[in-house]
Amino acid sequence: MQRSVSSLSLSPSVKVKLVNAGFQFTADLLHVKPLQLSKETSLSQLEALEVLQAVRGETGGGASSSLTALELLQKEEELRSIVTFSSQLDAALGGGLPVGKTTEICGAPGVGKTQLCLQLAVDVQVPQCFGGVGGQVVYIDTEGSFLLQRVVDIATAAVQHCSLLVEDDEQQVAMATFTVETILSNTFLVRCHDYVELLAELHLLPDFLSNHPKVRLLVIDSVAFPFRQHFDDLSQRTRLLNGLAQQLISMATSHKIAVLMTNQMTTRLRGGQSQQVPALGESWGHAATIRLLLHWAGPQRLANVFKSPNHMGATVRYQITSEGFRDVDQSEQPPSKRARKHTVQMAAAREPSET
Amino acid sequence: MDQLELNPRIIAAVSRAHLKSAREVLCVSGSDLQRVTGLSSSDVQQLLIAAATSCRRHHPIAALVLHRKFDAGLRLSVGCPVLNQLLRGGLLVGGVTELSGESGAGKTQLALQLCLSVQYPTQYGGLHSGAVYICTEDSFPIKRLQQLITDQSLLRSDVPPSLISSLQFSDRIYIEHVADLDSLQVCLSRRVPLLLTRGLVRLLVVDSLAALFRSEFQAADWLERSKQLLTFSSTLHHLSSRFTTPVLCINQVTDFLSSSDDSLGPLSSSVSPALGLLWANQVMVRLMMRRLQVTVAQGDQSSVLRRLEVVFAPHLARSGRDAAVEGEGVLTSV
Repeated sequence: MQRSVSSLSLSPSVKVKLVNAGFQFTADLLHVKPLQLSKETSLSQLEALEVLQAVRGETGGGASSSLTALELLQKEEELRSIVTFSSQLDAALGGGLPVGKTTEICGAPGVGKTQLCLQLAVDVQVPQCFGGVGGQVVYIDTEGSFLLQRVVDIATAAVQHCSLLVEDDEQQVAMATFTVETILSNTFLVRCHDYVELLAELHLLPDFLSNHPKVRLLVIDSVAFPFRQHFDDLSQRTRLLNGLAQQLISMATSHKIAVLMTNQMTTRLRGGQSQQVPALGESWGHAATIRLLLHWAGPQRLANVFKSPNHMGATVRYQITSEGFRDVDQSEQPPSKRARKHTVQMAAAREPSET
Repeated sequence: MDQLELNPRIIAAVSRAHLKSAREVLCVSGSDLQRVTGLSSSDVQQLLIAAATSCRRHHPIAALVLHRKFDAGLRLSVGCPVLNQLLRGGLLVGGVTELSGESGAGKTQLALQLCLSVQYPTQYGGLHSGAVYICTEDSFPIKRLQQLITDQSLLRSDVPPSLISSLQFSDRIYIEHVADLDSLQVCLSRRVPLLLTRGLVRLLVVDSLAALFRSEFQAADWLERSKQLLTFSSTLHHLSSRFTTPVLCINQVTDFLSSSDDSLGPLSSSVSPALGLLWANQVMVRLMMRRLQVTVAQGDQSSVLRRLEVVFAPHLARSGRDAAVEGEGVLTSV
């Protein structure tokens, strides 16, 4: 398979000159001297040198090898999902929040998007011996809704759950590293006040993630808020959002993190009827692999997985308690049905419900 | 642009493309940048990183560091211990808090109470500063304010009387009358930032919102209204975060149009806050006040009991407390 010249990291005008001079593929450039190249393509000598360096750099260095689908499947299975404290939601998501993918939460104000984000920011830190991922989290807050008072509530409840589940020495040791203080120290907070700051932060994140390989979750709460300020040029907004979506997907896969973002709802008129739809436009709908819609149905809160490549759309009930995002209490399971090995999900299901 | 640490060749290409600042560079999408500057993709990467570094305010901080700061969890007391408990301390000092309710519910009463409460030192739940009160409809209730000031020692039994009498409350409440959107924008972009910069105020009250945004626009001007509302909200948020100042917006209510319009959650009354979903998305803490059917007797006077409810907030449960509007203010007698 020949690699074409236009895929090299060069300026467009240089590429045009190369193609016009007949150099279609990088293989053509392998045995050319700089002086000869500059004569044939009318590039300056410096530019010709850069071209040849680019060619040699890119073919000499580790060209990304292609993977078979089986290898990809194995890689995916190695990445554990982030388990929430809501077993129903985990089931609907196919095991939990998937690592290596982007997930979006949409919903009206007050329905629980930030609560779920805060819950996951704590859940990602649950040690591996309890069924968690044991990772760190980067939390980008654009609205100011990351309130320490609430984070401490959720962290305290999570630590309490896990300490009730301790069965062996390994878990006992792990509990020493899972306290409210360590949870707060493993949560990296960034406050962005407008969309330019958000874009800046995302350009600098890959570097941060390389320096902090234990990060397994990136939360952006919310993407909508800074981008719904008045934009004179909506097509510019669309282009910026597309670029942002690509950056997030690439960060998710290359750094093996789960990306979680929240979106607002907006009203749209359709044939005289108004309905609520996720904000940020149609093309943004393709940004996330999985989309969750949180909404009210009377006094109940429902979570609907309405876009997912793996699972059919499921709707589950949830509640927000003082301890965080939880299932609504189901009727008690008979003891024989409980598995012997306790996990975080089981403890959460047994918890008494609160309003 | 010159301050960025970049190869001069890259900076030259950027200025040829008429991009004057790091912010402008970030606002152009990656592929557009390549096209406009003629730089290679690795150069564009370098450019973006340099621009981003200069636009970024802080590195990611561990939440533990914030938790340990002396002013973590700072709140503005409402003046009544039971209502403070409902709010887990009081008003948030960052972000917009909305207080909506029917007329006569007691919203202005609570706002006046906050204008006094902010003037106490932080150990008594205040912010040791004044308040700016933007009136958009009725004239400011100056007599009621005087009454509240006179009776402060009755309300705030937690504060030593000598401190209360030493504070010149009315001197530190700045009242602005604003009749339309243009003068509101002028007020928020000039007079209010000046007061905030000088440290004279640390509470901003807008009473009330819906009055301005509803009357000025017909249904057809919905797009213009949305734009104005977003600009207004953006200004409030910037002021709030820049000066760590609580912002209280008083809003009116509209009737529930239909039972299917429950997207914003169940409400305990048949009215919902005005200005719709667009405004609701801008609010961090939504409170509602309503009159109950119950009256409470105080001596030989009886007044209607009120209820202050949390509709949503990131750190508060959906709950409420009953309160009475007495001579000394809005409070729940234990």
